[in-house]
Amino acid sequence: MELFRYTATEISDMLKNKECSSVEVTKSVLDRIDEVEDKVGSFVTVTKELALEKAREVDEKIAKGESLSNLAGIPIAIKDNICTKGVKTTCSSKMLENFVPPYNATVIEKLNNCDYVPVGKLNMDEFAMGSSTETSYFKKTKNPHNLDCVPGGSSGGSASSVSAGETMLSLGSDTGGSIRLPASYCGVVGLKPTYSSVSRYGLIAFASSLDQIGPIGRSVSDVAMLYSAICGRDNLDATSAIREYPDFRANLNTDIKGKVIGLPKEYFGKGVSDNVKEAVLNLSKELEKQGAILKEISLPSTDYALNAYYIISSAEASSNLARFDGVKYGYRASDYNGLVDMYEKTRSEGFGDEVKRRILLGTFVLSSGYYDAYYKKAKLLQQKISAEFNDAFDACDVILTPTAPDVAFKIGENTNDPLKMYASDICTTTVNIAGLPALSIPCGYDNNLPIGAQLIGRKFGEQTLLNTAFAYESLVGGFNKIPDIK
Amino acid sequence: MKIDIKHIAKLSRLKVDDSEIEKFEKDMENIVSMIENLSDLEDTGSLLDKDNSMVLREDVAQNNFKRDELMQNAPQTKAGCVVVPKVVE
Repeated sequence: MELFRYTATEISDMLKNKECSSVEVTKSVLDRIDEVEDKVGSFVTVTKELALEKAREVDEKIAKGESLSNLAGIPIAIKDNICTKGVKTTCSSKMLENFVPPYNATVIEKLNNCDYVPVGKLNMDEFAMGSSTETSYFKKTKNPHNLDCVPGGSSGGSASSVSAGETMLSLGSDTGGSIRLPASYCGVVGLKPTYSSVSRYGLIAFASSLDQIGPIGRSVSDVAMLYSAICGRDNLDATSAIREYPDFRANLNTDIKGKVIGLPKEYFGKGVSDNVKEAVLNLSKELEKQGAILKEISLPSTDYALNAYYIISSAEASSNLARFDGVKYGYRASDYNGLVDMYEKTRSEGFGDEVKRRILLGTFVLSSGYYDAYYKKAKLLQQKISAEFNDAFDACDVILTPTAPDVAFKIGENTNDPLKMYASDICTTTVNIAGLPALSIPCGYDNNLPIGAQLIGRKFGEQTLLNTAFAYESLVGGFNKIPDIK
Repeated sequence: MKIDIKHIAKLSRLKVDDSEIEKFEKDMENIVSMIENLSDLEDTGSLLDKDNSMVLREDVAQNNFKRDELMQNAPQTKAGCVVVPKVVE
């Protein structure tokens, strides 16, 4: 079997046992990129030389018998809104087309310390605003399971690259579902960690109170391993939590006896396709056979969550994106008449339509006379949604829902209707609003397109989520299935 | 409710073509109407996260960046400075 087909966990063990070298693994992944990237389009930048150089270094360290991290020598690709020193970080926007960060995000520093192999930077919706990766300024990424379909978004390249075997692991970011939705559409495992568990330093901000960086992989153990490497307190992010984290991979087990799994009826209602419902409920029955207890619960404010999400995220985005003014970095318009005209032309030419739409909405809800009616109301709704989750977790350990109401849609199908596009986030935004961790895992197919199930946990309850997913993964014989790309 | 896109665009430092106004107006009204049908909500407490109060680092100046590295991303520079249009008459 070609090396790119293995999981990161398998490769990690094979490297330790000297059954393969990091250069061999990296070459296999780079060859796979050469083979399928024209069709899939996951990457904005492939860092071939850098990857091989790093892989050679790791092989030397292994030869010398140095003690290395689990991730040493493993190819990992990074969403293009996470700053990588000396490597372009574009946010898939014309605004940052030529931006080369003079510093690394904290997660990149951490991965460097683990001796990871940097494969490249991944395509995304512009500034992470979107659910299909179609708003990228550069290109449309395709779903490896069906090239006519979107990979989901906004971390579309992060999911498609892992799914297609173009990398072993990737980092994405999740503000309203941007890791889980593409993971679901592409049939891979994606974790949105608890807010504050992973440093956001060096993540180009969209909505600071909701954004989290998280891992995507082809097995639960892979995701656990990458999450362990990136979580933890960082003095450069004042919101990062001060606490100790376990080794999530080492603590994985399949024992879910007595765990109570809540099924919120609001997530199985109208708008969710019958096949998705059936696949997720089948998964719940499999867990029940393993000793878990199923319980129907209610989260009544779910219907309003999407509204609160768009108000809060757009408000924060309008403020965060005010920094792109054409002065110190990024795009600057070429013809202008004075400072204000330079700002306006730079921003109007540098941002795409979806970004402008959200800046306008955010500016509107924060503007004088409307703040109480919209922004404050959304923040109160946020409290209510959090309180409902807290109550639910008094009665259960994990909440199980579909990740998305349906499987991946066709490219171009929803681009003219923002509300229809936003509806694909209906199952995921509540989690960001409440700051909870959630994991998307594959649980079946509809018309050859993957269906995803979402497991939601208590704050810092990632291990319970991973273990529940691990129990199901062991039962179905693994999630690692790279589709034929045609 | 009528939303004044021109005014919002001015506050956002964005230029919106007259031909786009209607489209943005409709998008915005659709999105705003989503939240207008919310019932009144009671203010149940602080909006801050009580479990995770932020800890600030010591306010100590650090030399993290090299000037020329930072300037490499500037759209226009001259003599080690960023060039901007004339601001003061």
